[in-house]
Amino acid sequence: MRMSARKFDRRYLLMIAIGLFIFLAVIYPLWQVFFRSFISAGLFSLKNYYKVFSFPSYYHALFNSLWVSAATGVLCMLLGTVLAFLVIRTDLPFKKILRTLLVLPYALPSFFAAIAWIQLLGPQGYLARIFFRLSGSDTAPWNIYSAAGIVFVLTVHYFILVFITVAGALERMDASLEEAARSSGANTYQIMRQITLPLVLPAILAGGLLAFIGALANFGIPALLGMRARFFVLTTSIYYALAIPDFGLATALSSMLVLVALISMSFQFGIQKGGSKYTVISGKAVHPSELKLRSMRYPLLLAAAGLIFFISIIPIVSMFLTALFHYWGAPLSFANLTLENFIYILKLEAGRRAIFNSLLLAALAATITMFIGVVVSYMNVKAKLKGSQALDFLATIPYAVPHTVMAIAMILAWAKPPLSLYGTLWIILVAYLAIYLPFAVRTTHATLQQVHDSLEEAARVSGAKLLPRLRDVILPLARPGMIAGWILVFMPALRELTVSILLYTHRTETIGVVVYNMQDAGYREIAAALASVVMILLIAGNSLIRKLSGGVTGF
Amino acid sequence: MEKIRIVNLSKRYGKVVAADHVTLSIGDKEFFSLLGPSGCGKSTVLRCVAGLEEPSDGEIYIGETQVNCAAAGINVPTEERPIGMVFQNYAIWPHMTVHDNVAYPLKLKKLPKEVIEAKLKEILRAVGLEQLAGRFPSELSGGEQQRVALARALIKEPEVLLLDEPLSNLDAKLREQMRFELKDLQRRTGIPILYVTHDQTEALAMSDRLAIMNAGRIVQIGTPDDIYSHPADRFVADFIGLMNFVPARIVERSGDRVTVEIFGGHRLTISDRKALSGACILAVRPEDIALSPQGAIRCRVVVSSYSGHLIDYKISTNGIVLRVQTPKTMIYDEGAELGFTVEHAILFATGEGNA
Repeated sequence: MRMSARKFDRRYLLMIAIGLFIFLAVIYPLWQVFFRSFISAGLFSLKNYYKVFSFPSYYHALFNSLWVSAATGVLCMLLGTVLAFLVIRTDLPFKKILRTLLVLPYALPSFFAAIAWIQLLGPQGYLARIFFRLSGSDTAPWNIYSAAGIVFVLTVHYFILVFITVAGALERMDASLEEAARSSGANTYQIMRQITLPLVLPAILAGGLLAFIGALANFGIPALLGMRARFFVLTTSIYYALAIPDFGLATALSSMLVLVALISMSFQFGIQKGGSKYTVISGKAVHPSELKLRSMRYPLLLAAAGLIFFISIIPIVSMFLTALFHYWGAPLSFANLTLENFIYILKLEAGRRAIFNSLLLAALAATITMFIGVVVSYMNVKAKLKGSQALDFLATIPYAVPHTVMAIAMILAWAKPPLSLYGTLWIILVAYLAIYLPFAVRTTHATLQQVHDSLEEAARVSGAKLLPRLRDVILPLARPGMIAGWILVFMPALRELTVSILLYTHRTETIGVVVYNMQDAGYREIAAALASVVMILLIAGNSLIRKLSGGVTGF
Repeated sequence: MEKIRIVNLSKRYGKVVAADHVTLSIGDKEFFSLLGPSGCGKSTVLRCVAGLEEPSDGEIYIGETQVNCAAAGINVPTEERPIGMVFQNYAIWPHMTVHDNVAYPLKLKKLPKEVIEAKLKEILRAVGLEQLAGRFPSELSGGEQQRVALARALIKEPEVLLLDEPLSNLDAKLREQMRFELKDLQRRTGIPILYVTHDQTEALAMSDRLAIMNAGRIVQIGTPDDIYSHPADRFVADFIGLMNFVPARIVERSGDRVTVEIFGGHRLTISDRKALSGACILAVRPEDIALSPQGAIRCRVVVSSYSGHLIDYKISTNGIVLRVQTPKTMIYDEGAELGFTVEHAILFATGEGNA
């Protein structure tokens, strides 16, 4: 006869091991950031914070971060809500295609977007050149290297977050509520204004806050568009403070960034929770009626298609086109097209190394985080072990931490004796593990929840112990979700910039670092070539995920 | 010989007591049901027997083996218990064919391939699935999935079969058919069955014995007829079948025979072993009320509804409404004035088992 108490011990051992890992990779480094922000010259003090608020360049960064993110949030709410209404609730033609194309910009990394928009709207950009020819003037009325440029690219990148939440709310809305208003005598315009809009307002706000948080944490866009104009936000100031290097300042700025992110996240959480109080968004599959656009149908289609062409298609075309030019700024003609930029990347040692490093890091990060994710989620969702919920929570913490901060945390925790990982790929790997762990835990959690408990219980009754149960029943059923989850970590890790740029040294470059440095150094066609290769990989991976998950996940 | 013995089983989730000192035993070849409203703890008891839940207190034996003893910390894992189980949602593995689903328990035992195939053929024939061995669960009807679950539960020749509301997901016609098939299967194989259901018709029709549960406790154990004709308390009386409750008063007693007065004058002599006295409650089944123009107690038909094999009446008498069911032979119109007599009734104390 076996005692139950002895069997639990082994599983708890695994739990403790994972808890220890999360502590070392997440909790301890983040604690270092917070702790060090209160240390100056070896003593506890508020000097670092005092510094932030006494130098204009630092408190301006805080202020800039807030207003740039707020402006982005508001613009995203406008754009995302209007497009969601058009695509979900009207009889606009080609809605499905429009919807797929809309999501495209978000599938690409934000610093690729910045690069593409520099190619398009920069001083010698394609669109700028077209404008010069049409207008006859030789200066554009816009400047992409500016706060406005940053807000523009951030909006194009993040509006989809509002679109998705609002589209979801509109789709789940109970059609009978609108029908009741119609039978009470309201016309379509009144229904939209007085019934529909108030009901999806929580979704709009929640989406807007997501865009705000995304903009706040973004590094690539303000780095490529703002630093040249000496316009700094929190993330780029932290980068700058690390270059000095002033760790006290960097940690103080980081703590403030995390604080703002946490506050906005708790608001966002509160709104979503409050939103679920509306019983109307019931998750029933009732299709709400479509608004007839009548004579506006084709003008609106033209407007929507034009907008989508502008924000989704043109940047990608621009990236590929630039990759094919002999040199940046060459006149548009077939004679100037070449594949030599792609060949150059492969010949360049740093380029080859970056591709190898990124593939290795992304594969390791995806595999390890998914393994941890499966174990944590299994214990939480299936075995329902005591304490597993705490593990789940701990693994989700990095979700709230901007990647810039996570990179600093790694330097503080793992770049000093006795165990210094600095200068190796491993410090980048630990950072990747930390930032992608929440995604892995969430996808495995959702996947395992879909495998009904009784399926595992039936295997137990059939005589299957833990390992056969996992091998024969749970993992095969969870496989599509697991593969999708693996790719969902692999893809962003493959093109990661923020963490890598702060942690790389000679020989540990990643693809993101090389693209960024090439662009920054003016080798735009080389940067574009490498970016194009990555874009093809990302788009292919994304369609694979959509296939695997039946269109549920992926962008 | 007892195949399952449960002694003083309790299961607590924090402060909630799901099963409260449950004691029962199931004999060889017996079809035993646990019947009760949802949340009464019947599934918890079944899951404890299966080892899917660990009891907070008490002991469980399957055959001669003690599989649970909370005091000694014994909890044999599910996979080592000699049980077969059918789940409410069947829990057929969707990524395996019928063949692989049913063969799985034997595969785990690492039996030779020929033995597995032979056994599989036999069991699939027994449940009428031999044509569908290559199909995937998504290609099966609800009834066929049910049979797959049954075959999978039976193939390893368990000592007992546990069924957790296996018929509740089937439509009415199929449910009735499966009821007979299950009973027939049990008769052929002789396997003892512990059956959990909230459907009293099912439990009464199939069981050799059944236990009625309420709020974690067993209220009554007996044969279907025991339970129906001699409910132990008001809860059972109310839960099983239809029952009218009428305030009554005991006026005379001689041994087990008592005379009660209802509606302030009408007297009735029935048997009672509970030694009640004074005010009490008289419980009468709708079919135990005989309507006739000459009946002693006068009443009026309020509602008369035709339901195929019988007529369902609501009659009003002395300010209360009673439910009456009669064969189709006599039909009274709504509003008709007539009388009735009580042919069989049970007495309960007034305060007892507030139903």
